[in-house]
Amino acid sequence: MSEQTAVEAPIRGSSRSTIRSRLHRIDSRTAPYLYVSPFFVLFGAFGLFPLGYTAWVAMTNRTLLDPNWSYVGLDNFAALIHDSYFWNAVENTLAIFLISTIPQLLFALLLAYVLNTKLRARTFFRMFVLLPQVTSLVAVALIFTQLFSHDYGLVNYVLGLFGIHAVNWEAGRLSSWFALSVMVTWRWAGYNALIYLAAMQGIPDELYEAAAIDGAKPWRQFRHVTIPLLRPTIIFTVIVSTIGGLQLFTEPYLFEPLKQGATGGSARQYQTVVMYLYEKAFAGTQFNFGYAAAIGWALFLLIGVISLVNYLIVRRIRSAEA
Amino acid sequence: MKTFLKTPRRRATALATVVVTLGLVATAVVASTASGGRQDTVTLRVGLFGDFGYHDLYTKYEATHPNITIKEDIESYADHHANLAKHLAVGAGADDIESVEVGFIAQFKSQPNLFVNLKKLGAGSLQNQWLSWKWQQSIAPNGAQIGLGTDVGSLAICYRKDLFKRAGLPTDRAAVSKLWPTWQQYMAVGKRFEKHSPKGVSFFDSGSNVFNAIIGQLNPAYYDSHGKVIVGSNPKVKAAWNVTMQGVQSRESAGLAAFSNDWNTGYKKGTFATVTCPAWMMGYIQGQAPKTKGKWDIAAVPGGGGNWGGSFLTVPKQGSHTKEAYDLVKFLTSPASEAYIFKQTGNLPSQPALLKSKAVLGFKNPFFSNAPVGKIFGTSAMSLKKQILGPHQGDIQTAVSNAIQRVEQHKQSPASSWKQFLKDVKAVA
Amino acid sequence: MAAVAHEARVRGRRRPLSRKLGAAGPLTYVFLIVVALVSMFPLYWSLVVASHDNSAVAAYPPVLTPGHELWHNLHRLFNSGEVNVDFWSALVNSAIVATVVTVSVVLFSALAGFAFAKLRFRGSKFLFVTVIATMLVPVQLGVIPLYIEMVHLGWTNHLMAVIAPNLASAFGVFLMRQYISGSVPNELIDAARVDGCYTFGVFRHVIWPAVRPVAAVLGLLTFMTTWNDFFWPLVVLSPRNPTVQVAVSTLASGYVQDYALVLTGTFVSIIPLLIVFLVLGRNIIGGIMRGAVKG
Repeated sequence: MSEQTAVEAPIRGSSRSTIRSRLHRIDSRTAPYLYVSPFFVLFGAFGLFPLGYTAWVAMTNRTLLDPNWSYVGLDNFAALIHDSYFWNAVENTLAIFLISTIPQLLFALLLAYVLNTKLRARTFFRMFVLLPQVTSLVAVALIFTQLFSHDYGLVNYVLGLFGIHAVNWEAGRLSSWFALSVMVTWRWAGYNALIYLAAMQGIPDELYEAAAIDGAKPWRQFRHVTIPLLRPTIIFTVIVSTIGGLQLFTEPYLFEPLKQGATGGSARQYQTVVMYLYEKAFAGTQFNFGYAAAIGWALFLLIGVISLVNYLIVRRIRSAEA
Repeated sequence: MKTFLKTPRRRATALATVVVTLGLVATAVVASTASGGRQDTVTLRVGLFGDFGYHDLYTKYEATHPNITIKEDIESYADHHANLAKHLAVGAGADDIESVEVGFIAQFKSQPNLFVNLKKLGAGSLQNQWLSWKWQQSIAPNGAQIGLGTDVGSLAICYRKDLFKRAGLPTDRAAVSKLWPTWQQYMAVGKRFEKHSPKGVSFFDSGSNVFNAIIGQLNPAYYDSHGKVIVGSNPKVKAAWNVTMQGVQSRESAGLAAFSNDWNTGYKKGTFATVTCPAWMMGYIQGQAPKTKGKWDIAAVPGGGGNWGGSFLTVPKQGSHTKEAYDLVKFLTSPASEAYIFKQTGNLPSQPALLKSKAVLGFKNPFFSNAPVGKIFGTSAMSLKKQILGPHQGDIQTAVSNAIQRVEQHKQSPASSWKQFLKDVKAVA
Repeated sequence: MAAVAHEARVRGRRRPLSRKLGAAGPLTYVFLIVVALVSMFPLYWSLVVASHDNSAVAAYPPVLTPGHELWHNLHRLFNSGEVNVDFWSALVNSAIVATVVTVSVVLFSALAGFAFAKLRFRGSKFLFVTVIATMLVPVQLGVIPLYIEMVHLGWTNHLMAVIAPNLASAFGVFLMRQYISGSVPNELIDAARVDGCYTFGVFRHVIWPAVRPVAAVLGLLTFMTTWNDFFWPLVVLSPRNPTVQVAVSTLASGYVQDYALVLTGTFVSIIPLLIVFLVLGRNIIGGIMRGAVKG
């Protein structure tokens, strides 16, 4: 039946039908391109030039202020491979990504599940999970740096109640990764939960009813009805979170106590790749735009590879048709 | 029409279309009104990163120059300088007058072609108005003068009298100033302090603040007169590092980063007894820890002269009213204006005539136990000989702040941290 | 055609099956209340800071109850003598930008998502991967060339500079495509075709009603992210023609930050968002998600 989604106009014997069938053919051939064109026109206008420009700049030694610059081919990329700070940033980014994204998405799924059940004040709770997105970044930065402050933070205070020694969250490597993951999860779990919730709304009742009749408890219903039907949305959140997570900038940037340099801590313990890019391009005195562009494209490659890997992993969720 | 809008879906679509159209129209309207104005008035835009206290001065200037309107743009410190760089790079978007703080002046002046050479507009004759080191700080390698100085930070040591008393140290500011003519002696006083200090109180707030103060007094420091980076080879820089490490390792440092949250809290809770203090820090301390009024005092900084902070007003070449902009800059940095600003905001003038004036010399600050702050900061500013800055000064400063913090956070020994710092400097220079 | 539309409406707006998943027990409520408190706390605390003077920000033990300075700080915020940006126009500007962008994004994403999900055309796979690929470039990098473009177009300091690049969103296209491919049965589309619908008819009668929940969520999320966008507006706009985030940045000025004033500004900047949130959010999230019109 789905083979016939393309045009099959009703066959009637009049000339009106041949015109109509011709129109249908034109429609089916042109409509798709017409519908995707707004995106691509806009992308062509505002996305293509920046992409091409930064690809070009990555092969020069351009700095922001100096009018003298020259083409250097792949030198920036060669330097990047030997740049231990770059690899340090990659390691930090991957680690923070893993620690923050996986629990966050699982939590979002759980939250969506709960918000989908029969609740009193359901709308109220559903709106509350979006508040972290509404809160200004200044407030977020202040609160989380205070929470994880070494001498005055709430977290260390609570740890102290259990006799645990105060942790210098910002100074340590793992500890800063953990603190940032908490920050990221707090900000984005509700966002993803709502996306899952919207998708869950599209699942018809009969499927749950049928499963219940078959004797399936809620958990099994979740596993065999909800998750398979949620598959496209799960793929979506995994890929989008991968991209966003590997591009993490704002949270670690705000977490830093030293207001200049964007180095991600005194030993670059939580400097992400985009932070490193920002440090090279804007934060210091280098304004080394060429090198920053190279970092950007290396990141592009990295995200592409990892997104693909994640996609292949998540794709193995049994789809609804199987 | 009524039947067409019958279904809620159609109504929603119609509403959406109306909204989008209205939005685009509104945008166009807003744009056109924003660019309105009479043809013969010149609007000068001044880009600042804080309140420089210019409001009344604008009014005065507009009164005597009826064809000039002045508008001010303020952004945060980091955003202002980052955006200035971006606008200069693209060749559009900068204001007619752009303030540049001393931390960024070196890198902007290394590209003098982006700014108007104020000497060409007659600024050369004004040279003696300013402290000589201040004037030199904005001179480009090719000799062009790209900015005129606004205020200076100068340098002193702000200390907590009550904490000194509890540790058995003298509290009178003259006596305290005598305790530390050199930084070595400053660290020695720190050792004395730590012996009897109250629990949880360190002698100074941050190794980087101390280190940067020492560097600010060196000549040459990071750069030699030819613009070459001499961090590794300059024994004075290593000596500054050593003396700072002495203090850090004697546990005299609270290990804080300047302007961080914990640093702010530190003022309130009194976790450090001394802090290197430019003139503008006074207002900061007052705002952060109002309850500590009267507990503070100010003593001379070891080494005599010093400076932390201060700004310049520049005129980007891309502006369309550079002559008028220069006239306004001249006015805003004139002795009369700087004296007025000093009265309003306490920003220390950069001009020796004012620093020796009665107004400045007689200025006392009750929050700081009525210390004659005008005299103390004025003296410090005038005893500074030279402060050579190089284009990548900021990066070197970040690298060393991190290096010191690594030691304070017990992540590296001073020796390995210094090694890494040198590596970082090489990468930057 | 009407029958198809009717069926789509019935199918697409099913009542969520709450009772089959078990009614919520007290533990669930505790969990949700904790989540709500944690979500809300920073917002509450920024109100607390806005209602004190600057020294309260880094106080220890932390200040947790509102003070008495809110009125004073609000007065400072809107007093042009002290603060150099017109907050009212910043709010209006952000409202215009966010609304236009949201409507446009939802519409264009639905169209493109529909095409990618249900229509067969040459190059569709490649084009779709390209859409996703456009998300891979970090915004910090594209800022300079985009600014150059804006200079050439004469749009610097103009709201168009922050509207135009955001009118279509890869995120939205991707989201719509996933949703439509999963939640709209092909049978409905075939039925519409059999009825003689052109592609737009299919969109109007089958797709658009079916994507209500995700369109609502996309709209809300787009509105919020556009409102909160600070990196690009900070470069291309200036305090002369600001959006709220640019305006807030002007409050954080000097060597020294007056957090009380800054957080007052951010709190004021959130109020329209909260209003949109409360008014539309309840209708959108509550109403449509409840599965409104039944046939």
